Amino acid sequence: MSQYYLFQDTRKCIGCKSCEVACKANKNLTRGPKPCQIVEVGPKLIGEVPKRSYIFMPCFHCENPWCVSACPTGAMQKRSKDGVVFIDKDLCVGCKTCVSACPWGAPQWDPETGKVTKCDYCMDRIDKGLDPACVTSCTTACLKFGKVEEMTQIRRQRHAESVASFESASF
Amino acid sequence: MQICPVRQTILFLEDQIGPGGLPDPRGQRISEQIMTLAEEIAEGAAGQTHLTAIESLVEEYEADQSPEPTRAFGKKIKQMITDHKEVFVSHIQSRNCPTSDCSKLAPSPCQMACPAGIDVPTYLALIAEGKDAQAIEVIRRDNPLPWVCGLICTRPCEMMCVRARIDTPISIKFLKAFAAERAMSDRAYVNPEPKPANGKKVCVVGAGPGGLSCAYYLALMGYKVKIIEALPVPGGMIMVGIPRYRLPREVIDREVAMIEALGVEICYNTRFGKDITKAALEEQGYDAFFLAMGAHKGWSLGIAGEDEFSRAIDAVTFLKDVALGEHHAPGTHVVVVGGGNVAIDAARTSLRLGAEKVTIAYRRSREQLPADIEEVEQAEEEGIEFDFLTIPKAIVGQKDQITGLSCIKAELKKKKGSDRLAPVPLEGSDFNIRADAVIAAIGQYVDDDGFEAFDRVSWSRRGTVEVNHASMETKEPGVFAAGDAVSGPATVIEAIGGGKRAADAIDRHLRGMPQPRMPRVPVRHHTEPVMEMSASQKMTLKAPKMPMLAMDRRRTMFQQVELGYDEKSVRKEASRCLRCDICRRCGECVEICRDKMGINALRLGYMSFDKQKPTDFRATAENCITCGACAANCENHALVMDEKDGQRRLLLCGTLLNSQAIQYCEGCGAKLGSVEYTRFIDKKTQDVAQANAGRLLCHECQRKLGARAGQPKGPISLV
Repeated sequence: MSQYYLFQDTRKCIGCKSCEVACKANKNLTRGPKPCQIVEVGPKLIGEVPKRSYIFMPCFHCENPWCVSACPTGAMQKRSKDGVVFIDKDLCVGCKTCVSACPWGAPQWDPETGKVTKCDYCMDRIDKGLDPACVTSCTTACLKFGKVEEMTQIRRQRHAESVASFESASF
Repeated sequence: MQICPVRQTILFLEDQIGPGGLPDPRGQRISEQIMTLAEEIAEGAAGQTHLTAIESLVEEYEADQSPEPTRAFGKKIKQMITDHKEVFVSHIQSRNCPTSDCSKLAPSPCQMACPAGIDVPTYLALIAEGKDAQAIEVIRRDNPLPWVCGLICTRPCEMMCVRARIDTPISIKFLKAFAAERAMSDRAYVNPEPKPANGKKVCVVGAGPGGLSCAYYLALMGYKVKIIEALPVPGGMIMVGIPRYRLPREVIDREVAMIEALGVEICYNTRFGKDITKAALEEQGYDAFFLAMGAHKGWSLGIAGEDEFSRAIDAVTFLKDVALGEHHAPGTHVVVVGGGNVAIDAARTSLRLGAEKVTIAYRRSREQLPADIEEVEQAEEEGIEFDFLTIPKAIVGQKDQITGLSCIKAELKKKKGSDRLAPVPLEGSDFNIRADAVIAAIGQYVDDDGFEAFDRVSWSRRGTVEVNHASMETKEPGVFAAGDAVSGPATVIEAIGGGKRAADAIDRHLRGMPQPRMPRVPVRHHTEPVMEMSASQKMTLKAPKMPMLAMDRRRTMFQQVELGYDEKSVRKEASRCLRCDICRRCGECVEICRDKMGINALRLGYMSFDKQKPTDFRATAENCITCGACAANCENHALVMDEKDGQRRLLLCGTLLNSQAIQYCEGCGAKLGSVEYTRFIDKKTQDVAQANAGRLLCHECQRKLGARAGQPKGPISLV
């Protein structure tokens, strides 16, 4: 895993897809490739109510990425300083092996350039101290980006809140 | 090395667009707009207004508010475009880049080699498809005599043919003759529609290939053309120089008739300067002159006895007399002096007229023979003998009867300042060749008699007319020249090319347009679709053998020696073409497959010009995984990956290199790579844990599966 973690609060996400738009705009992409995508799951009846869930699917920046192993040209790489998995377009020849190898469908084919594109946590932006484009544009602020250790803290906090019972409070 | 100015402009612009480029947004915007237009020019997608648009955009760089770097850059681009305007125009008009820097526009080597610039791959493709009349139409855009050239062209195109790097060159020459003959027979050999008459008149001197070519293109442009011809027959050297067993008269007559049908008037038996004068023609309203009188005077040997005997003749006169009906053997023992095609023609003609023994005496050795190898071979088959390293010294005999040619043996020595080995006489090696006729075939020169009226035309030291080769203009305004009159004895196709260039220049002259400063590059009119065939078929097709007339007839008659291929062979031979108009052999595909992918499935050694490695289209199927990287990187779409009948196929200019069964996504049925492709990836990723339990899924389904797995369960979600 990279040092970063992109956290989606699925309770807040309304599936507006501004993350997808911002992502494509930042990478200047045409129709087709979606480095990040909101996948709709459901609807499912929860009690009497049909519910739908919106799952944010970027690249997970695996510890041992399939795409990097599959790439014959060395275009697909893992950045040593922070573990971001990115593609060097100059080296990509368009064989699509990474697309086929990734179990998560993260590498995307760009028919316009005949090369692959993928989520790289907007390296250009994070190196300037900014958040990835998807996070910056998220309308409900359900996407959060940061170092892994910071993100786990949010989860802990939320879990604590959800199980908190004030009736039997010890204070 | 100098790079194509259009490409250079694009490179300059690339530097200045984006960070680190021009400082002002305005300069950036102008550069981007010029870039778009320049790229369209480099891709052959530009129209006539592209250059004007670029020129006005360039002016905007120098607006008052522009910062200094932008103004300086504007000046640089402006200079580039002014200096090389011709090149930009030629890219737009001809959709051609002769340097190959603009890769989509590079013409094929055969087309570049042709002095008339015929679009060879296009007409070969048409012939392969059986569209003979259309093929003739394509050829006649650059050469009005396809039938003639199909039989006697020296074929520089075949010399450059890329297929020769695999086996043998395509028989480009004869395929043209077949198409012309078939189209003529089908009554489908037709003239294009000429432009309406413009009332201007042009006089052409000489009805040879140069004159006919110029007359044809002028007539199509709406000019009234009169050809002045000294001989009683059309064709010039192709009629009176080339013997009938190589080029039947009907071929010339039919093609000349096509040109006459456009309203071109040929005045036979009329010698320019004697039977008709420049002044008289000017009076009749002829606005321009085109000199294509050829080189019809044979050099004499300059040896003793040459002027004494009536049977010591020059080859040009001899061949002309025979062509005009004087069918008498020059002698029983004929010696022809020389080693060019004319010498061979004179020798084979003498044989057919009944000479018992014909010998060709040449100063150098066999390797240096300037004549076509096929011609030499055919002459030897017919029984002509060669005496190499033989220098003639004197013609000997009594009264008017030649008894022999006294010669001396030579040895070849290197001479300073010349690559060609020079024959040096060997002291005391004199010998006699028995002869009763001696024919000199050591070269021809231009007969300048009668052209005194063109007093401003300048002549070279070799006695040829001096011209600007881009426009074929002489020093005298309104007077143009081409063919042997300019080049000295040369080839039919060069004369045809020169005539075509001159026609264009005459048109410009009469319309007051400036002349081109550099020769126009060959024009590609369109790209004919490729023909699909298997790799084995493409690889194993062999050039057919030319059927020949029976030897007894070859030694006695003037019937055509080369009988021509049958239709089936012609279609097959044409389909052997590698289509170098589409694949420019950049080798990117081979590099990617071998060096980047590490697969090395493409064995296309013919692509490299210097270091030729083996070629085998059939070898691709052995290792190829149909990943498509080669096709994705092929700029000209010569390599194409497609899907047909459940197979993913790789084709190079129509040749099927590989075909593998497509696999489908277990989730949605989307198309996936072949088994070979999956295997390649599995091998690469074997060290990484298996993630999808061997399920074959497309990336969309992978993502959906991932999303479902990642969907939080338990009390947090969906509540």
